Amino acid sequence: MDVLTDNLDDFAAGLWVTTRLVGAAFLVAVVLGTLVAALRVSESRPLRSVGGLYVETFRNVPLLVLLFITFPGLRRGGVDINAWTAGIIALGLYTSAYVAEVLRSGVAAVSQGQREAGLSLGFGQVAVLRRIVLPQAFRTVIGPLGSITIAMIKNSAIVGASIVALDDILKEARVVNSATFQTTEAFFWAAVCYLLLTLTATAAFRGLEARYAIRR
Amino acid sequence: MGYLFDPDNWEWVVTENNLGFLLEAFLINLQIAVIAMVLALAVGLVLALGAIARPAPVRLAAKAWVDVFRNIPLILLILYLALSQPQSVRDFWSDSAPGFLPDALRSEFILAGIGGLVLYNSAVLAEVFRAGILSLARGQREAAAALGLSYLQQMRHVVLPQGLRRMVPATVSQLITLNKDTTLVSIIAIQEVVRSGRVLAGTAGNPFTGSGVAAPILHVMIFVGLLFVIANYALSRLSRRLETRESRRIATVRTAPRVSEAPPA
Repeated sequence: MDVLTDNLDDFAAGLWVTTRLVGAAFLVAVVLGTLVAALRVSESRPLRSVGGLYVETFRNVPLLVLLFITFPGLRRGGVDINAWTAGIIALGLYTSAYVAEVLRSGVAAVSQGQREAGLSLGFGQVAVLRRIVLPQAFRTVIGPLGSITIAMIKNSAIVGASIVALDDILKEARVVNSATFQTTEAFFWAAVCYLLLTLTATAAFRGLEARYAIRR
Repeated sequence: MGYLFDPDNWEWVVTENNLGFLLEAFLINLQIAVIAMVLALAVGLVLALGAIARPAPVRLAAKAWVDVFRNIPLILLILYLALSQPQSVRDFWSDSAPGFLPDALRSEFILAGIGGLVLYNSAVLAEVFRAGILSLARGQREAAAALGLSYLQQMRHVVLPQGLRRMVPATVSQLITLNKDTTLVSIIAIQEVVRSGRVLAGTAGNPFTGSGVAAPILHVMIFVGLLFVIANYALSRLSRRLETRESRRIATVRTAPRVSEAPPA
């Protein structure tokens, strides 16, 4: 217990860093994921293949490799990117592929008649997707989006553990560990911090689901 | 963009044995993945059976175990195991690891790496299996029980073959995740492909000592990423193949004339 109370500031700071990292990356992932899902359900074959290529690439690349590309990789190439941006982009890109896949299945679950009705009312393709199909698709995939978010909270530890200079929960645990040599306690409290985040996310998505979900 | 496509920056690929060095290291990732997969599948199955077992203590213990290890970041598990493993475990492995293993698999941290991968993935797979088993109609098991099969026989001959088959897609996608996660052991200094890539680029802590071209890390990592995309894409293709074959097989059974299956009156 001492390990926690003596280093409360460190753990709290780490928790806050992880929260911000996950929050920002979640936004990136949802925006990109929605765009890619739109590509994947479009009428045009080339656009569909571009979307497919995107998903297959970012779903199959290890996050650690992406992080090495976005941080030291781009910096060596003369791009002035900071640790935060690199971490958020890598985690966001990685997760966006999963979001795109989930949303695509959500779009498939919206009945074809909805789309046709929209088109016959004079909406364009994009407007139908944006105003009619996607809002319903989002509401069917709240559950899976929750699992993706939880996976993302856990994956955020990879960002802190690799070279990106972000002092997230895991990084703080390592700092506490090297200061106190209480390995088990330091990592136990770090695990509790992650659990706090995942449980909060679970509760939040349960709430959203109860309020907005369309059950099919 | 110029930097990315500049042929000078890709020169390391053909310099000396750099390519072989990376591919050999990628083989280590695949080996770690296979070992961890086999163990995680086995442990996951045991945990899943535990989570649906009749005795309440077994069930609760299995569920609690699964929930704990499923919710901890894998990298935290691996780091913890590596940092906390006693000297005796390290010595045991460096003394008794069979000589035919590659250096990376004789590393004193490999047990922590594989142990973490197995702990985490077996918990996730246990949930997948449990869902598959529970998705089976109760009647299947009751029918098996009515036929006089014991609990183990019911599981082995009736419940598991059907339940697990349904879960092939979810299992394969978890195995793909596991394959990607083998890169995490680079953080505990096991020489797999990410670490080898960093050695080529001279960012692995030690200065670049090779006589060839120091590789730009951007290009090395893009290449490493490509290796994973190819391997994992092949794996997901394979699973889709299995799925279509399976559904075709089931479809034939369903549409086959029932008369021939009817027992003689």
